[in-house]
Amino acid sequence: MKRKLTALALALGLTFSLTACGGGAGGTADTPSSGETTPAESTTPAGSTETTPVNSETPAAESDMAYVKDKGTLIVGMTDFAPMDYKDDSGEWIGFDADMAKAFAESLGVEVEFLEINWDNKLMELDTKGIDVIWNGMTITDEVTEGASVSEAYCNNGQVVVLPAEKAEDYQTVESLSGLNFAVENGSAGAEQLDLLGLTYVAKTTQADALMEVASGASDACVIDLLMAGAMIGEGTSYPELTYTVQLNSEEYGVAFRKGSDLTEAFNSFWKDAYDAGTVMEVATTYGVQESVIEK
Amino acid sequence: MLLSVSLTLLEGLVVTLELFALTLLFALPLGLIISFGSMSRCTPLRAVVKTIVWVIRGTPLMLQILVVFYGPGLMFDLPLLPRFTAAVVTFVINYACYFSEIFRGGIQGVPVGQQEAGLVLGMTKRQIFFKVTLLQVVKRIVPPMGNEFITLVKDTALVRTISVYEIIWMGESYIKKGMIWPLFYTAVFYLVVNGILTLLFGWFEKKLDYFK
Repeated sequence: MKRKLTALALALGLTFSLTACGGGAGGTADTPSSGETTPAESTTPAGSTETTPVNSETPAAESDMAYVKDKGTLIVGMTDFAPMDYKDDSGEWIGFDADMAKAFAESLGVEVEFLEINWDNKLMELDTKGIDVIWNGMTITDEVTEGASVSEAYCNNGQVVVLPAEKAEDYQTVESLSGLNFAVENGSAGAEQLDLLGLTYVAKTTQADALMEVASGASDACVIDLLMAGAMIGEGTSYPELTYTVQLNSEEYGVAFRKGSDLTEAFNSFWKDAYDAGTVMEVATTYGVQESVIEK
Repeated sequence: MLLSVSLTLLEGLVVTLELFALTLLFALPLGLIISFGSMSRCTPLRAVVKTIVWVIRGTPLMLQILVVFYGPGLMFDLPLLPRFTAAVVTFVINYACYFSEIFRGGIQGVPVGQQEAGLVLGMTKRQIFFKVTLLQVVKRIVPPMGNEFITLVKDTALVRTISVYEIIWMGESYIKKGMIWPLFYTAVFYLVVNGILTLLFGWFEKKLDYFK
């Protein structure tokens, strides 16, 4: 009996504390100091009273484009990921994805806003309207097709094994990889490949962290995107002593919108038009990814 | 190179320090209120306050940040708080709970005899607290508070999970450009800030020396 009472008291306490949190959040929300100091700040769709049910398929389809047009900005969730998204010397976001995102926003008649996100939380950001689209050399995996509405693929990619150049000779086949200690981005397409092969690995937060593991010698090898490997390792880069060997799979990049969003359709037709007009290849050539673009 | 990296990291440090200052500004008074709640003679109030303190101290701060920021949108489909605001709210609640326990320890550490003496002299409870207890409490809580302040400076690094661009985020962003050292260089900034804090606390403790 006494134990039951204690349990009840604990449960009650939890409820109270939750409401307390909620109250606190509301109360401090208008702290004057929340100021213009954080670049991330402006991202919240402030004042939006729209009650779009995020997860249901049909009703959202009507309103997602209207929602974006209404607030006048398309918030693109991305990370610093050359050559898809990166900053030029003046601090502006450029890259194959960034330039195309600007064009897409223009076609919608809205401003584009780039927001660097924590890649682990990308689907949560999309769902809660922290961002409107994930557009950052995103590999189409089951995780994203289940959690979001993914466009047609626009770029080819693959997962490659990266290791120190002096060891590369011994590891040219998939079979030779067993026994290596891998590092890989947590939940990435590369991690999926290693799971399939039954290889063990350390999960890191970003692909760049995985590279650092190899560069520092903490791991023998890592698995990252082919496009990224092309840009980030080898001679003339910051990791001249690394190289890539086996390509584990081939995969495709896509752009993800909220589940049931009508923006996906809008994107697909935008892309087709841009491809026909030659814009896509033109931009791709600027950033050296023309080999990977998928023909439409 | 060093200069441009330093400037970028300083930008992040400003965010870190803002979060630090705002957290202290709100969490110190809130902590005192919570400590009164946890010493209250009203049993239900005390139970509620202690449960809240247990939950807040018993769960990872990082999880709390995620709950405060994403929670409203995920559970109730509400618009999100601005990222920085969500970070401040979480830190205030979290640190207020830690501070409350330090305050409680400080208050209860003053011998009961002094309160009894005050009562005998005909002072009111309020007079006893402000004229007799409080200054001694301040002296007692300085060392544990120093600990918490320093921990707070470092805990701010957690807000990068919700994309608040504080100093570690800024340092990490260089890794993608193939530069590893800026991330480790952030340590210098933390050390300077915490060095200043340590000196301030040392000076403050000396100031309170007359209270033996």
